[in-house]
Amino acid sequence: MRWWCSAQTVAWDWTWRPYIGVWILLALMAATYLWLSRAGAADLDSDAAGADLSSDNRRGWLFWLGLFLLWVALDWPLGALGGGYLASAHMLQFLLVGLVAPLLLELGLPASFFDRLARRPIALRVVRFLTHPLMALAIFNTVLVITHHPRVVDAWMSTQLGSFGIDALWFLAGAIFWWPVVCPVPARARFPDLARMGYLFGNTIIAGFLALILVFADLPVYGIYELAPPTGWLTSREDQQIAGMLMKVGGALILWTVMSVIFFRWYRRENPEGEVATAGPPPSHVEARS
Amino acid sequence: MTRAVRGILALAAATGGWGCDAGSTGGTEMPAAGTAADFVLTDTQGQPYDFLQETRGSVTMLFFGFTNCPDVCPVHMANLAAVLDQLPSRISRQVTVVFVTVDPERDTPERMREWLDGFDRSFVGLTGDPERVRDIQLGLGLPPAMVRKDEQGTADVGHASHVMVFSKDRDRRWVYPFGTRQGDWARDIPMLVEGTPPAQSEEL
Repeated sequence: MRWWCSAQTVAWDWTWRPYIGVWILLALMAATYLWLSRAGAADLDSDAAGADLSSDNRRGWLFWLGLFLLWVALDWPLGALGGGYLASAHMLQFLLVGLVAPLLLELGLPASFFDRLARRPIALRVVRFLTHPLMALAIFNTVLVITHHPRVVDAWMSTQLGSFGIDALWFLAGAIFWWPVVCPVPARARFPDLARMGYLFGNTIIAGFLALILVFADLPVYGIYELAPPTGWLTSREDQQIAGMLMKVGGALILWTVMSVIFFRWYRRENPEGEVATAGPPPSHVEARS
Repeated sequence: MTRAVRGILALAAATGGWGCDAGSTGGTEMPAAGTAADFVLTDTQGQPYDFLQETRGSVTMLFFGFTNCPDVCPVHMANLAAVLDQLPSRISRQVTVVFVTVDPERDTPERMREWLDGFDRSFVGLTGDPERVRDIQLGLGLPPAMVRKDEQGTADVGHASHVMVFSKDRDRRWVYPFGTRQGDWARDIPMLVEGTPPAQSEEL
């Protein structure tokens, strides 16, 4: 039994295969979430905490959706296809593991997580350092470039440990990247909306350039997918072009969607009459806690 | 996209190591085939195909495989087809790709033609008596293919994964292993066509 998806030399078929490492990881994340939620409920001793708990319940589904998408990305069949058969599946995994899942998981974190973090000065200092917007942007884009470099992909994706390493880097970099946008770090001035939009836009530049290389390269860039047993659906070049398009369009779609949400919230705040008229959604967790 | 932008992207890709990693695999030269390459098999039209005579004057890629192959055969054929499609026609028209089946029981001429057409309609498919095909492989210095059938009649085929390349004049030949990438072919095929010996790979 294999514990993580990686490249294999056997032909692709639709026989289900378990990846026990993925299940263990997701089970640990789910257990941690439940523990944090219950610990938050146990601490319930004031109206303010009650409001937090109510807000937690509303956001809880975002965490479970993020966990579900993480499972879809890492387990069979998408994990197996991306592990060693199709570059396009690998890129879809990147979008889910590195962008969508960390965003949803952070949005769904219970208030007690932040309370506990705030009580740990060293951890808080590390988090503040890593999630400073400039640092987060640098970390995410460095991971993006390294984990999509042909030599890294060809070498790492051929082993389960290497493949796990790439997935872990994507997820951690994604979590760091989204933190300044969706999560407050106590005692830091709030990241202004305009700056948040600029931060997100800044993140489309390097990814867009890498995507263009994949789309317009005359030859396959990744040996592992070029020499993989064919699935019969795409040529290696078509597969790579789809991967590039996914990186460009899919990545931009995610970032621009979040930018739009930030923009419209900012607009409503700047135009209070409009807010009353449209009766928008309740304030976000970010705003409630800042 | 303009040629200039493509050029900038290609330059950036190459300098950043983002290009196809050509140069990792190359051909290994073998002694001239002599009479071992002098054989006649049957093509997908059912006509006799005299290998030496039909491929004279072209760089010839000879591969022994089978159409039900799940990995090596389709990857080699797809990579050769993709590169020949991109090379200038003055180069690609001087290259002949010949596929010899090692599983003639399942690979009927029609089946082979359909399979090869999925890659490139110019690829030649040959079939023949298994003993004759075995002798040809041995004569060329390739390990002969083995076809084993289990109790359910499912065939398990083992075969050499090398592409054997003959120079135009048949005086020289090289073998390219599985793992040869499109970038390697794109680098070596023009040299082979122009008669310049390609870089040697260290081992088979």
